[in-house]
Amino acid sequence: MTTLSLEQRLEILADSAKYDVSCSSGGSNRKGVPGGIGSTRPSGICHTWTADGRCISLLKILLTNSCIYDCAYCVNRSSNPIPRTALTPDEIVKLTMDFYCRNYIEGLFLSTGVVQSANHTMEQLIRVVRKLRVEERFNGYIHLKIVPGADAVLIEEAGRHADRVSINIELPSHRSLQLLAPDKPRESLIGPMRQLSSLIESARQEHKHSGKAPRFAPAGQSTQLIVGATPENDREIITLSEGLYQRLGMKRVYYSAFVPVSSDQRLPALPSPPLLREHRLYQADWLLRFYGFSSQELLDEAHPNLDMRFDPKTGWALRHLEHFPVEVNRADYQVLLRVPGIGVRSAQRIVQARRTSRLGEEELKRLGVVLKRARYFITAGDRYLGGIRLDGPQLLARLMAPNRRKASLDQLELFPAGTDVSAVTGEL
Amino acid sequence: MQQYRFDGSFEGFLCAMSRCLADGIETAEFLSDTAASESGLFQDLMVDVATDRDNAIGFRERFVAAASVEAFAMLRYAFHSEHHGIEQQLWNYVRLGLKTGPKLCSMMADKRVNDVDRLARSVAKEAHKYKGFVRFREVEQGFLYARIEPEADILCFLAPHFVQRIGDRHWMIHDLRRSLAAAYDLTTWRLLRDITLTGSPGYTDAEQECAGLWQCYFQRHAIEARHNPKLQQKHVPLRSRKHMVEFDHS
Repeated sequence: MTTLSLEQRLEILADSAKYDVSCSSGGSNRKGVPGGIGSTRPSGICHTWTADGRCISLLKILLTNSCIYDCAYCVNRSSNPIPRTALTPDEIVKLTMDFYCRNYIEGLFLSTGVVQSANHTMEQLIRVVRKLRVEERFNGYIHLKIVPGADAVLIEEAGRHADRVSINIELPSHRSLQLLAPDKPRESLIGPMRQLSSLIESARQEHKHSGKAPRFAPAGQSTQLIVGATPENDREIITLSEGLYQRLGMKRVYYSAFVPVSSDQRLPALPSPPLLREHRLYQADWLLRFYGFSSQELLDEAHPNLDMRFDPKTGWALRHLEHFPVEVNRADYQVLLRVPGIGVRSAQRIVQARRTSRLGEEELKRLGVVLKRARYFITAGDRYLGGIRLDGPQLLARLMAPNRRKASLDQLELFPAGTDVSAVTGEL
Repeated sequence: MQQYRFDGSFEGFLCAMSRCLADGIETAEFLSDTAASESGLFQDLMVDVATDRDNAIGFRERFVAAASVEAFAMLRYAFHSEHHGIEQQLWNYVRLGLKTGPKLCSMMADKRVNDVDRLARSVAKEAHKYKGFVRFREVEQGFLYARIEPEADILCFLAPHFVQRIGDRHWMIHDLRRSLAAAYDLTTWRLLRDITLTGSPGYTDAEQECAGLWQCYFQRHAIEARHNPKLQQKHVPLRSRKHMVEFDHS
């Protein structure tokens, strides 16, 4: 294992780390210290995009890809015959500092396979971040994986150094976890997440009273769900996410279209990862967090899965035509947000602009409101812009009419967290 | 028409507008020193305005008091777009702002405000992107050196960000398109004009090694089953790849 060069080990560990989708570097606002290195921006900054269209913001790396667990969906499961290797804390610290000062990255995303025990593994991770923060006085972003089952004292130290912490649930139900990750009962994941949630919240409260109070993961916690490896429907997934946002104050739930990394019999053989489904789930997730929708509105027993033909907001609107059309000059902000084609930014601009002038079609266009979909659901100055009668089947046909721009599927935003959006929605 | 010539800087432009207001002139033309003079015939109507920091700050305070901080930020970002005719557009915007007051920013449906807002947003967006795209390389002279060729003149938005971030090293960001550079000397940053390279910069051994590691990390980090170069190109347009280490295949 020690015979491999740094470059070879970096390659192996990058390979092992890349299925973790979180790439966010936002939510933390720390100025640089004079003469020091590192700062964080609330919006986060993407530094580059790889050939799969995913952004790189953090150096995402494993301390080691050896693991005592054998979770069927995971590329690093103990039964998978891949080369195993590790980086030393010094090597990771040097890589991070070298990459950071050249502006390749916003910081470090450190994860690891579990070796020996939860406590031992957590200690190894903490050694790296402590070195970065204390010895190198690194002030940039750190996302740290928490090893479920680690001691409370260790978790507390981890959160003092990290901006964000995360534990991945990976599979959306008890049933699936039991089947594919028998070593990880669900309670062993949710318990530590609850603990993190209360530590984050109490540190936040204390910080409000005194600016000197120690921070604990100021950018909160996130988690990840694998989509398509197990039979859960979208309703189960979105309901779970809603619970995580509401009850655990989760900052983000990431969805990862299952990429077959093994031929395990318990896993489905997918021809390609369900990218469109992943995309629709992100859209629904955004509706939960920024548009005031609840999971029941988006999905119910009659519609347990998101419509792949259009986005979930359009789907909702088509089932509730009685709410439309709405008049853009009068409708509340919350109502505008529910119009297909009008996003957070457009709604804000409409509300702002109509204070000083009456909005017609021309004005809406000037504001940058994309009318392609919105026109069927609004009136502007009491004039309906849709041009057809607002009824179900006709509208459906219009909205599904093939896009003249070829290959629109290729243009799907797999990660809707565009940098320019983040400043407005506060996306983390 | 009365013409005001300034040195091409934002501060200079503020001074020129300030002078124009003092002269009580409504329709004026503003000429940047860097732009070729097209007005040989009317030299007598040309006023050269000296750039004076206090004067510029005075104008800023006046505009902020009349309109708002946001309205001034919009003015500043839009100016750096270097869009053709931007001085005229901004002069109209400023006059409108002084007349209408704090509601200026909310008049988004008004063409005069909307056009400025669009430009300002595109500059702000590019400045944000380049906070990620700048790639420093360690040169033999012992400092970090980065080259960029952005559409807008965004150095003054980038430099303060990197002062916060990389405070323990000397660095320079060089805008090749404009022959401008922002240089940091551990205490403060300065804008240098008319920078030309006399030779190609020599990189240190440590630099070559680090760039190599980054390239291999970058290659391996993509998931093959999700291959999507179009999406990649949407986020990192080809024109911005020229000076990014990970896209350098030489």
